[in-house]
Amino acid sequence: MYTLLSGLYKYMFQRDEYCVLILGLDNAGKTTFLEQTKTRFNKNYKGMSLSKITTTVGLNIGTIDVGKTRLMFWDLGGQEELQSLWDKYYAESHGVIYVIDSTDEERLSESKRAFEKMITSEALEGVPILVLANKQDVETCLSIPDIKTAFSDCINKIGKRDCLTQACSALTGKGVNEGIEWMVKCVVRNIHRPPRKKDIT
Amino acid sequence: MRILILGLDGAGKTTILYRLQVGEVVTTIPTIGFNVETVTYKNLKFQVWDLGGQTSIRPYWRCYYSNTDAVIYVVDSCDRDRIGTSKSELVAMLEEEELKKAILVVFANKQDMEQAMTPTEMANALGLPALKDRKWQIFKTSATKGTGLDEAMEWLVEALKSRQ
Repeated sequence: MYTLLSGLYKYMFQRDEYCVLILGLDNAGKTTFLEQTKTRFNKNYKGMSLSKITTTVGLNIGTIDVGKTRLMFWDLGGQEELQSLWDKYYAESHGVIYVIDSTDEERLSESKRAFEKMITSEALEGVPILVLANKQDVETCLSIPDIKTAFSDCINKIGKRDCLTQACSALTGKGVNEGIEWMVKCVVRNIHRPPRKKDIT
Repeated sequence: MRILILGLDGAGKTTILYRLQVGEVVTTIPTIGFNVETVTYKNLKFQVWDLGGQTSIRPYWRCYYSNTDAVIYVVDSCDRDRIGTSKSELVAMLEEEELKKAILVVFANKQDMEQAMTPTEMANALGLPALKDRKWQIFKTSATKGTGLDEAMEWLVEALKSRQ
């Protein structure tokens, strides 16, 4: 009887929570992506004006509910010096969203190096990764094939995990829903990292 | 909006408060008790409390926690000897239920000095990466030179406006 009731309670009042890290170089658009996501998935959320977003030297957080699944985001600062803080979050992460500025060809190799370092980290083994080619609203930006070519020598380091490259504009919202839906699907089916149980408050 | 300015003694809390309020460097003496001023920034009115930071009066900080929207935690970036103390005071403070929803802004103050800690050093020394469900941000500031304060306040205004 107890098991039945506690099971019912859990079904009614608990959600599976997954933690998703948002990483990438500074000025890639991580915080803008987070704000756009929060605005799209939370009805009552008045987002900050996207034009007022400044450099993150710290952590921004956010939660969204997609059906019975709750995603909790950690958006970390991307400046080189701050990248040493990224791995403090790996062990508890269920997914990673890696944001690339598609208009910044000059720093693409720098972004690739940071990406490589991240995916080869043992603490992230098997964790699904969504690569967002951001700023696709800018006409002169690099295309998805361009970016895939630039990142091609990372492919054999990705290992056994779900990985998708998605075109996106955090500013206009293009590709945001598709990306999030893919991430939800992947974190749920990754049995190696079970969710945290969270009471709905 | 209610903001607390906290941190160890000699970190520069009072200098920051009056920099924000009158825009000038005032001569301060160690605060025993508190200073409170109304600061208007971008049409947002803040009641800013600057609480004394000496060891003997830190236990009284908690009397001021209720209804706090944000905490400005001021750290002397050159005081490596006491960064551990600064960390334990911060950790104890953040465990308080009344501050659960408060936004944390760390002012890495005295950045005009040569041996100042970088934001990353400070984040690690204060144990900030262990905070997983609170928004936090570090600003490099120099209260005496007036650098970094505008940027920090602008960020804080936006952060307060868009709380989830």
